[in-house]
Amino acid sequence: MVGTPVLFIAIPLLAAFLIPLIGMVWKESVRIIPGLVLAYLLVLAINLLSYVTVNGPIVEVIAGWAPPIGINLVFNAFSGFLVTIMVFMGLLVWLYSYRFKSNVEYEAARKYFLLLMMLITGSVGIVLTGDIFNMFVFIEITSISGYALTAFYTGRDSAEASFKYLMMGSIASVMLLLAIMIIYSQLGTLNMADVASKMHLMDPKLKAVSFILFVIALGIEAEVFPLNGWAPDAYAEAPGPVGAAFSGIVVKAGVYALIRYTYTIFDLSGAFNLLIIIGLITLVVAEVAAIRQEKLKRMLAYSSIGQMGLVLVSFGIGTKEGVFAALFIMLNHAIIKPLLFFSGSYLVYHSKKKMISDVDGIGKLAPLTSILFTLGAFAIVGLPPFAGFWSKLSFLMAAADSNMLLVIGLILSVSVVELVYYMRVVNRIFFFKRTTSLLTRRPTFNAYVVMIILGLMILVIGFYPDSVSMYLHNAANSLFDKSQYIHSVLTATIQ
Amino acid sequence: MDSAYFQYLNYAIYGTAVLVMLTGLYAALVKKSLLKIVIGLSIVDSGLNLLIVTLGYLKGGTAPIFSSGYNGTQTMVDPIPQALVLTAIVIGFGVTAVALSLVIRLWRHHHTLYIDEIKNLKW
Repeated sequence: MVGTPVLFIAIPLLAAFLIPLIGMVWKESVRIIPGLVLAYLLVLAINLLSYVTVNGPIVEVIAGWAPPIGINLVFNAFSGFLVTIMVFMGLLVWLYSYRFKSNVEYEAARKYFLLLMMLITGSVGIVLTGDIFNMFVFIEITSISGYALTAFYTGRDSAEASFKYLMMGSIASVMLLLAIMIIYSQLGTLNMADVASKMHLMDPKLKAVSFILFVIALGIEAEVFPLNGWAPDAYAEAPGPVGAAFSGIVVKAGVYALIRYTYTIFDLSGAFNLLIIIGLITLVVAEVAAIRQEKLKRMLAYSSIGQMGLVLVSFGIGTKEGVFAALFIMLNHAIIKPLLFFSGSYLVYHSKKKMISDVDGIGKLAPLTSILFTLGAFAIVGLPPFAGFWSKLSFLMAAADSNMLLVIGLILSVSVVELVYYMRVVNRIFFFKRTTSLLTRRPTFNAYVVMIILGLMILVIGFYPDSVSMYLHNAANSLFDKSQYIHSVLTATIQ
Repeated sequence: MDSAYFQYLNYAIYGTAVLVMLTGLYAALVKKSLLKIVIGLSIVDSGLNLLIVTLGYLKGGTAPIFSSGYNGTQTMVDPIPQALVLTAIVIGFGVTAVALSLVIRLWRHHHTLYIDEIKNLKW
């Protein structure tokens, strides 16, 4: 091993707080340090992921208190897979926003990168931790830096969007803490594995209450309907790369938490049906809302919510194939949605209201950005041979195996809606006459690099889906093997 | 202090904590002024903290600190809820600070604190 899981939390946290200090001496460092940190973490994540594939999960005991007393971090095939995606997306977001405004000043860059590092720390912490209260702390770290990043631009209505997010987030945190305390008062432990192994001792009524509180609280982070009122505004008002970070990193962490509670901690039989129902409602409402949107980023935000609904339905199927499909959708969403946000925010860069109609005929003026946006649109809708096709196919196969024909019918008809609103934008880009006199903005070199990397990944996964399916299978197996999770945590010793 | 009395006292404290939480929730959801909403949110936090500390209390328990005067026979209250509440207070403080700074930003932008007049985004 080259490192331990705690580095994923310690290094970015340390870097976040050192950025302002080092920045006093060398101003350029506030931009460079986050990149170095994230690149190192990506290497570490890939190394640990291949180590875990061979040798089984790594359970790290923090501060010398063995589980179930102390806090522990679990890096197994499932959490490791998500951490790798998150760190990779974090690196791309960093590269994209390295100079995402030509007149970027030191003061703004310092705050932006500090908050971005905190956001990544919190999200990675949610995925790695094995302690429910520790997860609460990481959720709060993520949310608070999310509020601040949403309000980053002072000119727009971003403070309003951020306040909305903050209100929902702080009510969610109260519910989360209440649910945690119900579990603690019943079982006397906060360790996830220990809670999971003692869950049968809990009073069924209190169990149901705390599960519902968890679903509501985490649903706000995971953008589940009707708790996602903050998301479209936050995506639309936040800077472009922050929208990408939300959809590529934060939402993944929220879904992870929800899934960890449903699959590992609680043993409620109705929980899977609940996931399917809230997932379907989220999907249908979000896609119908997306088709009505007139602003590009709000449309993308609703589409992002819809994808998360699809992920929840897929997790709710409750079979290994379902989990495989859900992880595949999450991976694809983490690649495709940032591409759409990156290219989309350049398409409407100079437009004040960011309307969809402002992209009319921009295909001739900014061909590469438009083509990349179109690639993302095709991929997320699920057209072959792009990445989204395979995830949707594996989802439909998983649903068919479980005889969920109604779900399949609904998903397919919603996909048509999705196709309509994406093709509407693509149609406007290439076949409409340019009516506005808005200038186009050439993406920076870094932005081109990031978008082309994402575009290539869409094609690679599209043509060679086997290149990722091994990791997805391992992750799905590790999520299903609850007894191994409990065993590996509770027998962990101090290294 | 007999045990029935202690039980009633416990229920009374639980009830108070829940009441404080509901008061805060009412303020956060019904009031129109942004400042009152922020105050409401922090009242909810306080109620929850009270509830959590009460959960860890034992009859006749002392502070969970090993000091020279401790003879090993007294019961101690559960230290974990207290540690959790300390964390929750710090987090609540941070959220309130961010919320207030957003309120200042909204004031500068709109020159009002009434949410009915701040409607550029759909609420």
